[in-house]
Amino acid sequence: MKRVRRDRLKIYMDVLLVIKKESRGEKVVLTKIQQKSNVPFDRLKTYLSELKNLGLIQDINEPQLTEKGLEYLTEYQKVLDFMKRMGLTY
Amino acid sequence: MDNLSLVIIEIISAALAFVLVRFMIKPYRMTGEARYLGLPLGFAFLGMSYIFMGTSLFFSDYLNVERMQWLQLFTGAYAYVFLAITYYFSAKVYEKKINLLMQFFLSFMFLVFIIVFIVIFIPPVFELPDYKTLDEYFRISNMILALYVTICTLRVHARKPDQKTIMAPLGYTLLAFSQYSFLVWSLDASYSAFIGAHIIRFAGLFVFLYVSYKAIIARE
Repeated sequence: MKRVRRDRLKIYMDVLLVIKKESRGEKVVLTKIQQKSNVPFDRLKTYLSELKNLGLIQDINEPQLTEKGLEYLTEYQKVLDFMKRMGLTY
Repeated sequence: MDNLSLVIIEIISAALAFVLVRFMIKPYRMTGEARYLGLPLGFAFLGMSYIFMGTSLFFSDYLNVERMQWLQLFTGAYAYVFLAITYYFSAKVYEKKINLLMQFFLSFMFLVFIIVFIVIFIPPVFELPDYKTLDEYFRISNMILALYVTICTLRVHARKPDQKTIMAPLGYTLLAFSQYSFLVWSLDASYSAFIGAHIIRFAGLFVFLYVSYKAIIARE
């Protein structure tokens, strides 16, 4: 099967989604994010630092979504749902 | 149905199309991929074509509205071309060259639009062909493009059948069917086909409004 390359936006969103799911009242462990978002550990650190600079997460070592991060993720999921309904592939 | 009622339908259709542009631009704004730009452009051109159609109907008793009809013809065709190209590129695995191709295509279409504008508004330089004949060809090509988009959306639905994904093919089928009705009207001057085309098109736009509402607004 042909492997589809994820672009940066998809990786960001996968990471944010894992953080959202894992952080329900618990401490988020980086290895769990790494496993679930399927990103190598060294690159995960880079992505987390970029997400922090964008104001989407609070901390790199114990990431939690900020208000802006949560809004962005919600908007992303809405647009994905819209694209699916419109028959567009992404 | 008198001309005024049809003009009102055109105005409402144009308003619906422009409201839809607000939703259709979201995939492009979120992803930044030029291949999705055809979707808002397509609906914007649809809206423009309805405005030109409404204007030509409204002023049909007072002015020579041939130029408005020509603009309606070209903007309508542009709409379907943009929609078809979006679905064509959307079905492909994303690569940078798709962005380049789309940008090239947009520049090309812009150039064609300028030429068309010159041809329509400077008739002494270029002689316009027979409007009615060209209108029929354009309706056929619009119908084919709308059917192509319907097939693309149906393919997506068939891959993973879901209630959510059946509305878009329905919307595009209605748009294709409205082009067919306009073609029938053009061929045999059937007034019922003309009214039917407006109603079907109206229904198609409502389907897209429903899709946008369910995905973007109702989700909140």
